[in-house]
Amino acid sequence: MNTRHAALTSLAIAVSMAAAPNPTRAADYHHVHLAVPSPTEAVAWYVRHMECEAIPDRADAVDCGVEIHFDALVTVGASPGTGVNHIGFAFPDLADKMAELERVGVGGRGVRLQRFDDGSTFRDVPGLFAHGFIFDPWGTRIELLEDPSRSGFHHVHLSSTEPEATLDWYQSVMGGERARFGEELDGLMYDNVWLLVSPHPEGAPPAPTRGRAVDHIGFLVADLDEAAGVMSQAGIAFEGEPEAGRTSARRAFVAGPDSVALAVVEPGWAGRETTLLATDAGPAVPLEPYTAPRTPWGAPDLQGIWTGDRAHGIPLERPGDLEGVEALTPEEAAARRERGTLGSIWGYEREWRDTTLGLVGSSPSTQVAMVIDPPDGRLPPLTPEAQARMSGGGRGRGGLPAGPEDLSNYVRCITRGLPGLMMPGIYNNGLQIVQGPGHVAITKEMIHETRIVPTEPRPRLGENLTQWLGDSRGRWEGDTLVVEVRGFNGRAPYRGSGETLTLIERYTRIGPDILEYRFTVDDPSTWTRPWTAMFTFDKDDSQYELVEYACHEGNYGMTNILTGARARERAGEDEER
Amino acid sequence: MGFEHHRWSRRTSLAAAALLVFANVAAAQEADLARAWDGRPDLNGIWQAIGTAHWDIQDHAAAAGLPEMGAIGAIPPGQGVVEGNEIPYQDWALEQKQRNFENRFTEDPEIKCYMPGVPRATYLPYPFQIIQGDDTILIVYGFAETSRTIHMNKENPEPAPIDSWMGRSHGRWDGDTLVVDVAGFNGQSWFDRAGNFASNTLRVEERYTPLGPNAMMYEATIEDPNVFTRPWTMRMPLYRRLEENVQILEFKCVEFSEELIYGHLRREPAD
Repeated sequence: MNTRHAALTSLAIAVSMAAAPNPTRAADYHHVHLAVPSPTEAVAWYVRHMECEAIPDRADAVDCGVEIHFDALVTVGASPGTGVNHIGFAFPDLADKMAELERVGVGGRGVRLQRFDDGSTFRDVPGLFAHGFIFDPWGTRIELLEDPSRSGFHHVHLSSTEPEATLDWYQSVMGGERARFGEELDGLMYDNVWLLVSPHPEGAPPAPTRGRAVDHIGFLVADLDEAAGVMSQAGIAFEGEPEAGRTSARRAFVAGPDSVALAVVEPGWAGRETTLLATDAGPAVPLEPYTAPRTPWGAPDLQGIWTGDRAHGIPLERPGDLEGVEALTPEEAAARRERGTLGSIWGYEREWRDTTLGLVGSSPSTQVAMVIDPPDGRLPPLTPEAQARMSGGGRGRGGLPAGPEDLSNYVRCITRGLPGLMMPGIYNNGLQIVQGPGHVAITKEMIHETRIVPTEPRPRLGENLTQWLGDSRGRWEGDTLVVEVRGFNGRAPYRGSGETLTLIERYTRIGPDILEYRFTVDDPSTWTRPWTAMFTFDKDDSQYELVEYACHEGNYGMTNILTGARARERAGEDEER
Repeated sequence: MGFEHHRWSRRTSLAAAALLVFANVAAAQEADLARAWDGRPDLNGIWQAIGTAHWDIQDHAAAAGLPEMGAIGAIPPGQGVVEGNEIPYQDWALEQKQRNFENRFTEDPEIKCYMPGVPRATYLPYPFQIIQGDDTILIVYGFAETSRTIHMNKENPEPAPIDSWMGRSHGRWDGDTLVVDVAGFNGQSWFDRAGNFASNTLRVEERYTPLGPNAMMYEATIEDPNVFTRPWTMRMPLYRRLEENVQILEFKCVEFSEELIYGHLRREPAD
């Protein structure tokens, strides 16, 4: 689990509105700024689902009545929990809109609906409007409300420890007109778009917006120098010098109440040229061969906490459309990893994903595929025997599991098998290596499995004593730990592998903080030739600690899956009657 | 070095035993102890407790187990490992222990293949391996894929990032004794199959003291102000497994617990 807080993507919403040169008002909404890994994808999402309009010549912004700007930044979490809880959009027919979003589904770059306790996606606020909440795929919470008279960007909803003082602050610094929204909510009106404030829940103060899904809110002023003068009278100073973007219009930042970042921009502000801001430049692979340090007893020292987070998203086999491509661009790599997490943990909260993958200090790997031999990056053909073996099975009866045995070893929390357990996943990618004289212990955080590898010659287990993870025997070849694993029980196959699998792993520290993991899969009963794959782990002792992944102990999923299967069977029987 | 006398002097009847063990420790130090690269005792290897503490850490006579298992399932008699044989439960906790005992064949975390916690992992009837490196000691237990990192490099023990079954372990050397402070438990572990238990405010101080190359004394002092009226200590020797080529084997027991935990959710329950 990570303890470092590094921002990975930042989605900026730019609310762009006509400047309202009201002399009593210092500013107006200009934009909301959101953090996303791929601005292009975010533009497409807001155009498709929020009915915003693309802006000509701007790949990183949309016009929703207020502009939303997207920055390719590293995000550290969703908008709730910060001083900007959510943004609001109005639609003329909410039932219709919600039904449309529900059909989109949450998979991929979908829509995450936030249901009310009764399971509904929207409900009436008496005397006011119908509303519901969704999340965009990158963690911005969005309130949808019904307003037959209008559509588009409706409000920014702040979360404040002192709502009244916060409204006063915005009014004195940014202008706006006080008004009451509905019966209870006080707010400010900026040319038909609301700034609303609710009390922040007690406990922790609002987290800073910078780096979160809603990175900051932008206000428009006629002239930054003039605004600086007005603000200084209120004791507010710009953070840093104003800077120009794509145009000569300038932007400066000020700190709002509740750690909300605010941008102040001049007319014509059209964002900066954005580049992917990764937190590091990728693994520092030394040009010279690296000699690993030695343990006090003289073995190459591989010890420490490593993570496979960087490698998450690399497919095992080279995708057909990437033939001949040497490496992805950093933006393609970031988008690939994001797709991987969205596709695989769509049922989890964004916060969860961000505190697992999003917070890692490593930029996503640009490696195209793991398989390096055969050179085309594709697995060799299956043997006829393996094809026959893999075509059998199936659960029958609508695919519902009759009992735990019908579910995967992973879902049962038994094992991820080999080499499966070494593979980077959606979270808990920690790998701890501890060495003692003559032994290397390799612990994988997910789903807590430890392999003990003897590095001095010793006989193998007897043929009749097979294990899920086989029997590992290690040796040092120079700085490389070579582990040969045999004696599998065949119950945890990898891509169809069987009992005849011999797995040869090579662990080489190719730099102080990078561990190359190369493995050769040799199973003549399954593939027509051996194949080899490779990816790397990054050393991360300073902030990463393996936590106890008590998988079986907390396997509510199993109970729920089986309970659900029985309920569906009963429902089906009722229907038959 | 050796055991702390103040813990032993609580009961005069124990004083003689204390001196005896102390004498053994002293003798062992004169003998050739295996030493690690840094001169500390070398605890690397595979170890196991012998006895019946896993059934009941207190004195217990032979008793019936699950009847369908016949004599194999019976509970063997054993002398307790608790100093004074008394566990100083608060009143409510003693009642809870008795309820645990009554429900032990369905509620014991061990029967469900859950991680055993500390100190129970040490005296389950499975071997465990100590990997003693430079600033980390790893113990890999033969039950339920459990392992535990003992941080030897932390000046000030850090609080556990989350509660867990195995807690967070900080170790240091006191002469030839490895002393490990363990806290941050989730409060769901039992000490044995008899239902002895603690809560999430449990703290354990473990002491591993070599008695020679192939044995060490294991002491665990249990402190939990929400369950016990005072700290108490259990103590037993651990023995090195000397079989040629012995290794920790997989005991992925999840599949053996599934019928017990999920059997009622099968399409066709066994009953």
